[in-house]
Amino acid sequence: MTKKIPWLVILTGVVTGLAALVLTKAGNPGNMGFCIACFLRDISGGVGLHTAAKVQYIRPEIIGLVLGACIMALVRGEFTGRAGSTPALRFVIGAFVMVGALAFLGCPLRMVLRLGGGDLTAIAGLLGFIVGILVGVLFLKKGFSLGRAYKVKKSEGFVLPAIMIFLLVLLLIKPAFLYFSETGPGSMHAALPIALIAGLVVGALAQRSRLCMAGGIRDTVLFKDFHLLTGFLAIFVTVLIGNLILGQFNPTNAVQPVAHHDYVWSFLGMALAGWGSILLGGCPLRQLILAGEGNGDSAVTILGMIVGAAFAHNFGLAGNADAMTDGVFTAGGVAPAGRIAVVLGLVVLAVISIANLYRGGKQK
Amino acid sequence: MRYVATFHTHLSAMLTCQALQGHDIAARMTPVPRALSSSCGTCVRYEAADPCRALLDADLEAVYEEQDGSYGRLFSNDSQ
Repeated sequence: MTKKIPWLVILTGVVTGLAALVLTKAGNPGNMGFCIACFLRDISGGVGLHTAAKVQYIRPEIIGLVLGACIMALVRGEFTGRAGSTPALRFVIGAFVMVGALAFLGCPLRMVLRLGGGDLTAIAGLLGFIVGILVGVLFLKKGFSLGRAYKVKKSEGFVLPAIMIFLLVLLLIKPAFLYFSETGPGSMHAALPIALIAGLVVGALAQRSRLCMAGGIRDTVLFKDFHLLTGFLAIFVTVLIGNLILGQFNPTNAVQPVAHHDYVWSFLGMALAGWGSILLGGCPLRQLILAGEGNGDSAVTILGMIVGAAFAHNFGLAGNADAMTDGVFTAGGVAPAGRIAVVLGLVVLAVISIANLYRGGKQK
Repeated sequence: MRYVATFHTHLSAMLTCQALQGHDIAARMTPVPRALSSSCGTCVRYEAADPCRALLDADLEAVYEEQDGSYGRLFSNDSQ
């Protein structure tokens, strides 16, 4: 049987890569055209859940991703309210995925963008992400399950899209109670229309193609199915070529945009993110898309990620970027509190993974 | 006949695949075809004389007959 070429997921990867390049050119931080973890963290700060002054902004890309997926699902008749698959556990896992990603300084999507920009420090994150996924797959093979979701009222499915519309309204009217960074990554952003349109387009395509950074590696290992992995690779190749053309490709492990040299904790942070993504059934980007098409469990997961981001910045758990100021290098990295949080996250995932193994009999 | 069974969980697909294989039915797990679902779950593809309903796990979502790359729904279990 001949294998079909997965054009739709490749197209989605190429468009995502191009959108990331455009967003970076239009003002987003380096190698951060998209970063679901960073942008949810910015939103968390924007609404005052954390007080890190440099990472506060209502990111229109996130709004666009959810609403793009929502509109596409509605148009295609695929919007269904579903929920009830251990939402509290998903909240906790989502929070720890965020802690892990913010220790590394990027979600799996930004990890690919960092690699495509020549950021060799991200290799430690990639290796950790793969190892985390392998651990998650091992538990899947042993019978891990968070249980099934059930059909629920459509209104449940509209929770996250409605929150996104509310955030968009807030962003447009800019009430005084919102926080907007004046320096740092939060102050660097593309204009609202560009960011929103980029999110809408990528969200719609990701809904059609089921693009998932963790799913590609999971399916490759579980089923020897490379379909989703082609999207992952398409993003990397597009961003790599784009950065080469734009003269932005800087293949070194020197000071990179919003990155650090703390390889061990980059590895462990992304192992936490990868493992958690497999337990959740998808990476942070995929959770946004699923929430957009009516999945209440994914909406709860995203809320967990926003709260996780608040914890990460209120308690100094997130990684600090390296800096070069007037020729003086200041090393970043993950502080002791962040290291403890990553280890705690790995322990919590181990407990959740073991506690939810199938032990025979009827599934609960 | 070739069948595709979709499930609400990966575990459910795994248990069904094991049950089918335990009855010497050629079965394997793959990602759910996009034509059948927007979810990225796991399905079981198997070849048998009939859909083997008794061997399918309780968290079954639906069973389709596959013919020349297209899928015809035989029955679903999606009461909720």
